[in-house]
Amino acid sequence: MKERQSLMTEQERVPIQAYKRMKEIMTTYYGIAKMSEGTDQKIAWITSGGPVEILYAAGIIPIYPENHAAMCGATRIADELCAAAEERGFSRDLCSYARTDFGSIYTKKSPVPGGLPKPDLLVCCNNICDTVTKWYQELQRIFDVPLIYIDAPYQYGDDRPEAIDYVKAQLEAMIQSVGEIVGRPIDRDKLDETLEISERAAALWREIQGMLAHRPAPMNSFDTFIHLAPIVTLRGTELCIEYYELLRDEIRQRIEAGIASVPGETFRLGWDNLAIWYKIKELSEKFAAYKTALVVSTYPEGFCYQAPEHLRDPNDRLRTMAATYMGGYINHGLDYRERDLLRMVKQFHLDGFVMHSNRSCRAYSFGQYELAKALMEKHDIPTLMIEADMNDSRAWSDEQVKTRIEAFIETLAARRN
Amino acid sequence: MTTTRFSEVAACQAAAAEGYGAARAAANAGRKVAGFMCSYAPQELFHAAGYLPVRILGREGGATLADEIIQPYACSFARSALDSALANEFDFLRLAVFSHTCDTMQNVADLWRRNRPEMAVIVVSVPTQTEGAPARTFFRRELQRVRQAVEALAGPVADDALWDSIRLYQKHRAAMRRLYEVRRTHPGVISGSEMLAVVTASFFMEKQAHLELITRLADAVAACPEDTPGPRPAVLVAGSVCQNADFIKAIEESGCAVVDDDLCMGSRSFSLPDPPDGDPLESLAEIYLARTPCPAFHKPGFDAAQHMLDRARAAQADGVVFLLTKFCDPWFFDYPYISRTLEAAEMPTLLLEVEQHLPAPAQLRTRVEAFAEMLRGRVASWA
Repeated sequence: MKERQSLMTEQERVPIQAYKRMKEIMTTYYGIAKMSEGTDQKIAWITSGGPVEILYAAGIIPIYPENHAAMCGATRIADELCAAAEERGFSRDLCSYARTDFGSIYTKKSPVPGGLPKPDLLVCCNNICDTVTKWYQELQRIFDVPLIYIDAPYQYGDDRPEAIDYVKAQLEAMIQSVGEIVGRPIDRDKLDETLEISERAAALWREIQGMLAHRPAPMNSFDTFIHLAPIVTLRGTELCIEYYELLRDEIRQRIEAGIASVPGETFRLGWDNLAIWYKIKELSEKFAAYKTALVVSTYPEGFCYQAPEHLRDPNDRLRTMAATYMGGYINHGLDYRERDLLRMVKQFHLDGFVMHSNRSCRAYSFGQYELAKALMEKHDIPTLMIEADMNDSRAWSDEQVKTRIEAFIETLAARRN
Repeated sequence: MTTTRFSEVAACQAAAAEGYGAARAAANAGRKVAGFMCSYAPQELFHAAGYLPVRILGREGGATLADEIIQPYACSFARSALDSALANEFDFLRLAVFSHTCDTMQNVADLWRRNRPEMAVIVVSVPTQTEGAPARTFFRRELQRVRQAVEALAGPVADDALWDSIRLYQKHRAAMRRLYEVRRTHPGVISGSEMLAVVTASFFMEKQAHLELITRLADAVAACPEDTPGPRPAVLVAGSVCQNADFIKAIEESGCAVVDDDLCMGSRSFSLPDPPDGDPLESLAEIYLARTPCPAFHKPGFDAAQHMLDRARAAQADGVVFLLTKFCDPWFFDYPYISRTLEAAEMPTLLLEVEQHLPAPAQLRTRVEAFAEMLRGRVASWA
């Protein structure tokens, strides 16, 4: 009897309470943005790694089509939206976020009633991929509004000073252009203040993820995929900090109370690449059933990237900003990625890595086979490769993934013994 | 090999068919050979350092070695070139030069470097945004870094030597542009397949030798009476690489005359303006950023559809054939807009999605035949 009871409690997973607050915040954020459509309030569409602080300093509301696309994926309308883009000539092989976004623009279908508010301005930074270059060129053709482009050169070794100078020069130009668009110069104090708020939010987000190093992990990566919405969309606002303080306190309490995200945690894994938005719940349950917790991911980590100490210049705020916007994991070559994966293995006590080979994200995915090989051959760390797509569920095979996960867990168990 | 009335074309066909044979022989004779992956590599710098620059292309056949380190949703050009490298077919190269273009090439460069550690690899960080002072300043500094990297491998590169190379490439590109120009008035004299052989040969041959061939060829073509493609409808072919000569041949055998191209293995490679005097690196930075952009780039104000329409009209093309490599994101993002714009301007289009490592599929011929028939119908109805 006693044994059965402990088994029962073991199986019960305690949900994160802050989630409700996050839903409210996100609903309000999209609601306010949507209500501003057609008013004097300017709206910009911006890539997830874009220098949003300049927009906040100018009083412009930023909208993130990537976050919106993920919402469409999680609410399972992305397939239909992708198909709508394909009907208009976009290849099914293209980025499923971009296809989701185009499809939503054409059909006005979206979790946000009526679709995203139209932009007055587009801001594209290629520190996450070069696909956004093409995506935003198409957005400019659709909306016929100014496109500000920030080119953050991909780095194979240490970040090159000339590349940071280049990004800084473009940020200067952006400050000028945005000032012209809103009809008044950007208040540099306001910009500095916003940058500081961003840094504090990023630090909090990093702190929260760091807490998952605790054994058993108080939260898992599937939760962090959900809870990264504010750092993506509200970076640069006090609300973002407020939310992550709430979440951090809850995670701290969970650690103190011994609440495990996966009761009976036996194996700990990392996750590479974007989430598979339409399968988050299923995958979370699947791994939990094997008492396996995913405790770190290269993807949410990307949103707390800050320029390393040696590239920060306390006397030159904008150059430090440029160094941060050079971006982290996915704007760096495979040597950097290998080092970062190894760091995660050590810091989070991992038994292995799950790599989502993401069919429509070439920037993130090409290199994974090589990294998996290096992890195994050089460092004896096994990897599970899942072939899927972040948003297009037509690329998903339940049976194949199920079999692979089972086989991988068996491998992990065999390695334990 | 198709028959040709020009000995210069025959020489190019032989060079194209021989592929890396000549480069390998040169390497065996002690010449330093550098492979470059894309037309954004500033070949002048490597040429000035004493390298024979040859273009890295894939080949027909499977990519089983590449499949081990890159997913099947990488384009066939990338996979097949990488496979050749892994199979050690590029063992005659001392140096591989990549330029930053698309997401795929960005990672292929790294995969190549990590898996061929004995070969030097230089990645040229071409700015993705090609307009404005920040991009030019950055690219000038990047070229300085590349020059130092080359010098570390091959010894000092004097400004004079660099200028000699810049001038040679300038002459070569001007001669290629002239050849494209005279071809417009002589589409029946020199075919698309012949032109592709000329372009392909330019990637394998010594620049000076190729320059002499094409200069004579352009004169010879210009000396022929002006003509038309005859009863076949004229098309412009657009796309990125075209490592398989079979594609153009198949299009021509299926009833179209290829009269011009907007290919990276074609006219785009030669679209750089003449270099201004002054600092050689400044000059290189300027011309590489001013060229007709590859769709992986962002050139504010450049309208890819208008550019293609102008080019097709100048060549008196009846239609445009998109010869796009499966999984080539930059082209497939632009395709709906460009084709829609061309169609609206009464320029019919056909999309052919190809795999660079496979022969032209039978279905490609059927579709071109149908397209040719449709174009003939349109031309007849105007008459």
